[in-house]
Amino acid sequence: MKNPGLRVYAIGYLIFLYAPIILLPVFALNDSKVVSFPLTGFTFRWFQEMWADDSLREALTNSLIVAICASVIATALGLLAARASTRFTFPAKGGILGLIMLPLVLPEMIVAMSLLMVLLAVGVPLGKHTIIMGHVLICTPFAVAILSSAFQSLDKSLEEAAYDLGEGPISAFRLIILPLVTPGIVSSLLICFTISLDEFIIANFLGGNTKVLSAYIYGQFRFPAKVPAMLALGTILVLLSITLLSIAEYFRRRGIAKTGGKDTGGFL
Amino acid sequence: MSSEKPTMIEFKDVHKYYGDYHALRGITATIRAGEFFSLLGPSGCGKTTLLRTIAGFEGISSGVVLIDGKDMQNVPANVRPTNMVFQSYAIFPHMSVAENVGFGLRKDPRSKAEKAKAVEEALAMVGLKGYGGRAAHALSGGQRQRVALARALILKPKVLLLDEPLSALDKKMREHMQVELIRLQRQVGITFILVTHDQEEALVMSDRIAVMFEGEIAQLADPETLYRRPASRKVADFIGTMNFLPARVLSQSGDKVEVEAEGFGRLTLDAEQMTGAKTDAGPTIGFRPETLTILFDGQTASDRESPATVTEVVYYGDMTYYDIKLDGSDQPLRLSMRNVFGRPVLDIGTKTRVAWSPGALVLFR
Repeated sequence: MKNPGLRVYAIGYLIFLYAPIILLPVFALNDSKVVSFPLTGFTFRWFQEMWADDSLREALTNSLIVAICASVIATALGLLAARASTRFTFPAKGGILGLIMLPLVLPEMIVAMSLLMVLLAVGVPLGKHTIIMGHVLICTPFAVAILSSAFQSLDKSLEEAAYDLGEGPISAFRLIILPLVTPGIVSSLLICFTISLDEFIIANFLGGNTKVLSAYIYGQFRFPAKVPAMLALGTILVLLSITLLSIAEYFRRRGIAKTGGKDTGGFL
Repeated sequence: MSSEKPTMIEFKDVHKYYGDYHALRGITATIRAGEFFSLLGPSGCGKTTLLRTIAGFEGISSGVVLIDGKDMQNVPANVRPTNMVFQSYAIFPHMSVAENVGFGLRKDPRSKAEKAKAVEEALAMVGLKGYGGRAAHALSGGQRQRVALARALILKPKVLLLDEPLSALDKKMREHMQVELIRLQRQVGITFILVTHDQEEALVMSDRIAVMFEGEIAQLADPETLYRRPASRKVADFIGTMNFLPARVLSQSGDKVEVEAEGFGRLTLDAEQMTGAKTDAGPTIGFRPETLTILFDGQTASDRESPATVTEVVYYGDMTYYDIKLDGSDQPLRLSMRNVFGRPVLDIGTKTRVAWSPGALVLFR
């Protein structure tokens, strides 16, 4: 970076990206109802207030249920798709995989609207289960991408060696393949969980009267008095996301190292 | 000697198609119990496919594969009396060395202590005594191969299949493992089937070799026959180096053939020196570089000799390779001489004499 202009640009870029996030904990710990400088004092009041809020706890519970269900289902589906795509050839394989990966680039708004239309037309009542459906749809491509890389780094002869030494397809999968892709599974679960927890549009469209955390936070911003408590909640969510993603990346890298493969990218 | 051994594997007109691609084209062959057998050929010749039909990883499109007299149709890989050493070794990276070697004993009814003893014995057999506790992913290439061998041999298979097991090792290690594999095969007495593209490796290790080209066995013979009496120019070209000279068959009567070849003049050969099918290239005589010898001052040929000129010299330390041209021929011929202390290496352009013997020639029809 010999060009000073580029250096200024890079620093400005990073400030633009991360400064708002850094403001979150700053105002969450500030002893004032008004979100503005100068800071008036240090307090944990907003964290206590947040924790005492019953409707927040209900939204949190909803979010956790949705995120856990969506990440487990998406990872299970991703496991099947990744196995099929790396191990077998079948007609229209590229097209089918393309369709599975499509929600990755499709605007969530479109996904949410079309799902809502279908659900209402069929007469499915809205609730946690419909949010889970939507989240499975958008999480599965991530699961497939992560697990495909885990399967691809597996030597095909490992499975054949297990057959050769007397095991059947199921025990070979359980004894050899599963332990070697476990880091990928953990990583997929954590990333899908994080995506589902953060997601707003689908949760808002398909939730009906069920409020998840993201929708709840958005709603609370209408009341200025509630804002500092929401900033406190946001601070916790940022820390949680960073922690989960770091753990996910740790498992992904460990999986690659274990099978002796070469790291070819990832999320972090 | 080896002809007394009973049959272990029999292929009867085995064909294999991948879609339109005809990978195995009518393989018929017999592999005997207790022999070190090699499948040799260039990449894509079908040798690995043939090995995998024995293991049960590849089905066949038609024909029969018998192992120890039993038809292997519909017998899956996990119950066949064969074990395999994979090209990549396929060591399970999440297990210790001992867990890898003992993997095949999972369904064995023996006690834990007996199995542990069997693992220790198998490791000792391949020279890895005391390595059981090591993590598999921390091993070197040579050690991985030994673990793969121990893991396969602990099940006492009737046939051990080796898919290019030495190709990932450096030259020194490879030569060392060749000798070890031969020793191991003699020790356990199991039929070994080796897939290799390295003709030298096949010659060194095997009792018998099947040379394969394009899905067919071109010749199946012991190494010496393969080297001295190759069945075709293609086999001769693939195994070692062979010189070829165009020839003319003058007459054939009984078991004698009268031939005229450039530089060699008129020759009478035994009919059994004639080999191969008729080709468009016409008759050719072939001979190995070591069957020609340069005569130094005072030496005389025990059979025949011809004047020649040195056109190229390649010095290898223990050996020197010369290219020569026989007087009356423009065809350069490769000749190899073991270097002897006190004997000079000839320069390019030196006029010399070479000794040869009609008995060492092969005549390709």
